[in-house]
Amino acid sequence: MISYIENIATMLSISMILAWSLNIMVGYAGIFSVMHAVFYGVGAYVGAQYAIHVSAEFIVVAAVAMPATAAVAFLLTVPVLRVREEYFVVAAVGYQMVATTVFITWQSGTGGMGGLAGIPPATFFGVMLIDPRAYLALSAGCAVLCILGLNLLLRSPFGRALKALRDDETAAIALGKRPIRLRLVATSIAGGLAGLAGVLYAFYVSYINPESFTLDYSVLLLAMVIIGGAGTLIGPALGAIFITVFPALLNFLEVPNSILGPLQQVIYGSVIVMLMLFMPDGLYSAGRLLRKGTGKLAATLGVGGSSQ
Amino acid sequence: MSSNLLELDGLNKAFGGNQVITSLTLKLEEGHVSSLVGPNGAGKTTIFNLITGFVSPDSGRVRYAGKDVTGSSPQDLKERGLVRTFQNLRLFLDMTVFENVLVSLERMLRGRARARLERVRTKEVLTRVGLWEVRDVKASELSYAEKKFLSIARAMASGARCLLLDEPASGLDGPSRTLFHELMREFKANGQTVLLIEHNLDIVREVSDSIVFLDRGNIVASGTAEEIFSDPELSERYFGV
Repeated sequence: MISYIENIATMLSISMILAWSLNIMVGYAGIFSVMHAVFYGVGAYVGAQYAIHVSAEFIVVAAVAMPATAAVAFLLTVPVLRVREEYFVVAAVGYQMVATTVFITWQSGTGGMGGLAGIPPATFFGVMLIDPRAYLALSAGCAVLCILGLNLLLRSPFGRALKALRDDETAAIALGKRPIRLRLVATSIAGGLAGLAGVLYAFYVSYINPESFTLDYSVLLLAMVIIGGAGTLIGPALGAIFITVFPALLNFLEVPNSILGPLQQVIYGSVIVMLMLFMPDGLYSAGRLLRKGTGKLAATLGVGGSSQ
Repeated sequence: MSSNLLELDGLNKAFGGNQVITSLTLKLEEGHVSSLVGPNGAGKTTIFNLITGFVSPDSGRVRYAGKDVTGSSPQDLKERGLVRTFQNLRLFLDMTVFENVLVSLERMLRGRARARLERVRTKEVLTRVGLWEVRDVKASELSYAEKKFLSIARAMASGARCLLLDEPASGLDGPSRTLFHELMREFKANGQTVLLIEHNLDIVREVSDSIVFLDRGNIVASGTAEEIFSDPELSERYFGV
């Protein structure tokens, strides 16, 4: 049971980093990307190859994989940033298809469908992280650094310019902001962070194959951001918790095994639909709705801040 | 001797076969407040878009501070001190009042000293337009008049040499209107050049050094407030007197 929870917590840390990084694009730069699993995959493969052939020192691997993924994100985005919204979504689907094909067929780089096995355990300043708890601490530490870094970034001139762009692009242009440049930097940062998540994942599972980096997963990541609340710091983390933990909780349903799988899917899907219907701004807005609700209730009952 | 800061020379613009601006030639004297007036659809906002690089003219030139800037990007023109506002304000609604102004003047990469200067300037501007007290409020929560002044503050913040203000005063009441007048006087005193689009003719009359009257993309008349408002033909056709 403990190891089950440790496993979920480690995967949750990785998912949070992915959701936060995608949120830079979706929530702040206004790019609806459904190719985030591509960056995740590139980070994982680059990290795995480096760990297998050169060094498994986590910081070094991350320092190699993150810029590589950022560069891929930059190069893939340059030609398509002039298109926005639904057109970008379609272009991203195209990229995802190409990338999946590369992951499947590039034997020497990715191991093809068979994947890359034998990824050594990560070392952290020379200490081999074999204990799952130590690895959980590393993953959680990376997630914490990630949110602290994003918080700083969003309070910087760059972050404000991104938010301005999101709120009103025409006004941002009139005030001297350059949307394409800003979006490219945002995408590169998002790519680099997804690469970090990829490295964490590759070390964690020690075997990777293309099935972890599919369009399905890209869509799921987008769902995390939107379900949690795009354009907020906490929202994507809530979305990641929901998407990662909720299905795990459904495992504890006391129903016959034969119907457990389909039932889980139906409940999971239905809850997502309900969330979007009743909380279109995401789980993040739950607090606000709750305050509003209790405020109304208090007013109805004639207690609290009523001016009567 | 005064000189022209902005010169539009023979500008033409058509949208989908519909000629919006026809051979428009206009000169704005540095340090003056000029106003564009005319009925809806006269092409006033299109002129703003042509000057600020949001729209390229089909033919004709735009000269600013002695340089041909036809086809320059809005960002380049802003760098040169040509700043505009929008009729529908276009505030960054999810950002605070302070952030709205700060973002308009800050550079991406700068040292501590410059960063401090940017914040000092933001405070100065917000204090001047009476919004310092609400600096931490989201722009979406401001009153109508406050929103209008925030939009002007954003344009003022970078110390623009030329301000293009699209209906900045319409809908303002007594005290706000007084503040608007004061700002206009300060712009002039600072040697800043202002081009206004304004429907409220009383305000136009009070603040403008010169007025350009447009209809269907053509300049019908131009001159001082006195000349424009005493023109019997204009009065009869447009001002309804």
